[in-house]
Amino acid sequence: MNTSRAVYVSTRQNSLENGSSINMSRLIAAQQETALAATRNKMRMINVSVYYGSFQALIDINLDVPEHRITAIIGPSGCGKSTLLRSLNRMNDLNPRARTVGKVLLDDRDIYAPGEDVVDVRRRVGMVFQRPNPFPKSIYDNVAYGPRLYGITSRRELDRIVETSLSRAALWDEVKDKLQQSALALSGGQQQRLCIARALAVEPEVILMDEPASALDPIATLKIEELMHDLAVTYTIVIVTHNMQQAARVSDYTAMMMLREGTRSGEVVEYGPTRQIFTAPRDRRTEDYITGRFG
Amino acid sequence: MTVVVRAQSRQRYLVRRITNTVMLGLTGLATVVAIIPLLWIVLYVLIQGGRFLSFDFFTKLPTPVGVPGGGVVNAIVGSAILVTLACIFSIPIGILAAIYASAHPNTRLGLSLRFATDVLSGIPSIVVGIFAYTVVVLPMHQFSALAGGVALSIIMLPTVTRTTEEMLKLVPNSLREASLSLGAPEWKTSLRVMLPAALEGVVTGIMLGIARVAGEAAPLMLTSFGNSFMNTDITHPIAALPQTIYIYAVAPYKDWHDKAWTTALVLMTLVLGLNITARLIIVWRRRKLGLG
Repeated sequence: MNTSRAVYVSTRQNSLENGSSINMSRLIAAQQETALAATRNKMRMINVSVYYGSFQALIDINLDVPEHRITAIIGPSGCGKSTLLRSLNRMNDLNPRARTVGKVLLDDRDIYAPGEDVVDVRRRVGMVFQRPNPFPKSIYDNVAYGPRLYGITSRRELDRIVETSLSRAALWDEVKDKLQQSALALSGGQQQRLCIARALAVEPEVILMDEPASALDPIATLKIEELMHDLAVTYTIVIVTHNMQQAARVSDYTAMMMLREGTRSGEVVEYGPTRQIFTAPRDRRTEDYITGRFG
Repeated sequence: MTVVVRAQSRQRYLVRRITNTVMLGLTGLATVVAIIPLLWIVLYVLIQGGRFLSFDFFTKLPTPVGVPGGGVVNAIVGSAILVTLACIFSIPIGILAAIYASAHPNTRLGLSLRFATDVLSGIPSIVVGIFAYTVVVLPMHQFSALAGGVALSIIMLPTVTRTTEEMLKLVPNSLREASLSLGAPEWKTSLRVMLPAALEGVVTGIMLGIARVAGEAAPLMLTSFGNSFMNTDITHPIAALPQTIYIYAVAPYKDWHDKAWTTALVLMTLVLGLNITARLIIVWRRRKLGLG
């Protein structure tokens, strides 16, 4: 228990500039919890199971995603974290063998209900992938891709969206003089922020991030994490991560996933405020995992 | 004992080395043999055809037997029209079908397309000519460039479809997911992301298809028929370069034989020129996008 508390406190401290005292971080954590109490749920998963053919990948997931907060999903490899994330914007639909049971509510409407427009769901719930995947087009065209899909053709309007999106993704200053250059010439970290800008350009409400920093170096990772903090003011963020320090640093809520014993199906074993998960885990498996005694 | 083993292993080593040298020699020889026909054909056509090449050959109509000069401008224009028609018919269908098949590879329709494409590419071109004769020439009561274009497009279709499909499959799936995650429908994703990313391979496939049909003579005999005069009306018979080569080559006149060689050179140069242009455009585009 002491070890896990140490992990949490030290990472929280690292994320604060000038490394303040433990009291300070406790104070901030306390403030956060007050704020957490006031927020509503942007998305809710109710008894969600996902199957690939006859194989069950997720068992009975119940998860709340609070608005304007960062929710982290942690757990060992292959336990269904990405499947869970992709069920939140119906990206699992791309696999013709995938089948989703249960309800995923976005503002109290089930996105899997018959007649729900998957295009609209994906516009409102954007996604950033593990590896930066900019289109082989110019920086400008990458960001303008989404707005153009939705019929915006006015050059002035597109210019405005591109600038706003790149600024929000903390990339504008680095690329404003080379918007017509290929996106592939950017560094990995810049490419990932470009992908974030591309997602922001369609004005999503929720942003899903699937290990967004795992292919990046520590400095680029730090930039993405800072960016997530800024974005959480406007958007709701769900992040999948392998990196527990990252989860502790950036998230407000954490869901711990594991394979159910004797199966290859993933379930959420514990879910709560990040501070509680890292300092006072209720589930034995969570504690084993975050203290490094497990996989 | 040790000495015997060592002697044996040395002997084996020698055998291995000799085998290796012989096999390397054989493969090298085969490589040279495979290159020879290309060089031979190109050189022979250059020498035989180059002797009579003149500016007039590109601008004048054919002259009667024994009359010197003249050209094959009618066949150049005819071939251009036929190939253009073939492209108009086959490229949109081929690309759209390939987009479907690459997005739904294991569906019944996707598998059928692959099977049909393979079978179609194995059908002899003269059979395609007979088919086009039946469905286009007979109802129109007349040979026409249109019928020729239809025949050539059927021959070109499998090449375009298959290469486009293969090239689309090589585009990283992450690009497709990125587009879909922004709310783009599948077809827009294919047209705006996948196809541009695969453009190089797609253009190569189209070029291969053009090179193939630009040299077809057999199906044109039954469709576009041939024409000694200039014609740009696609509902009427039209001349084509390969067919002109055939007519000149089988005629019993020396000056027509020479013209057959020159026409062959013109055909070869035009197809090669088209290929080089397409490659240059691709290189230019890649450089613009910073793809190296």
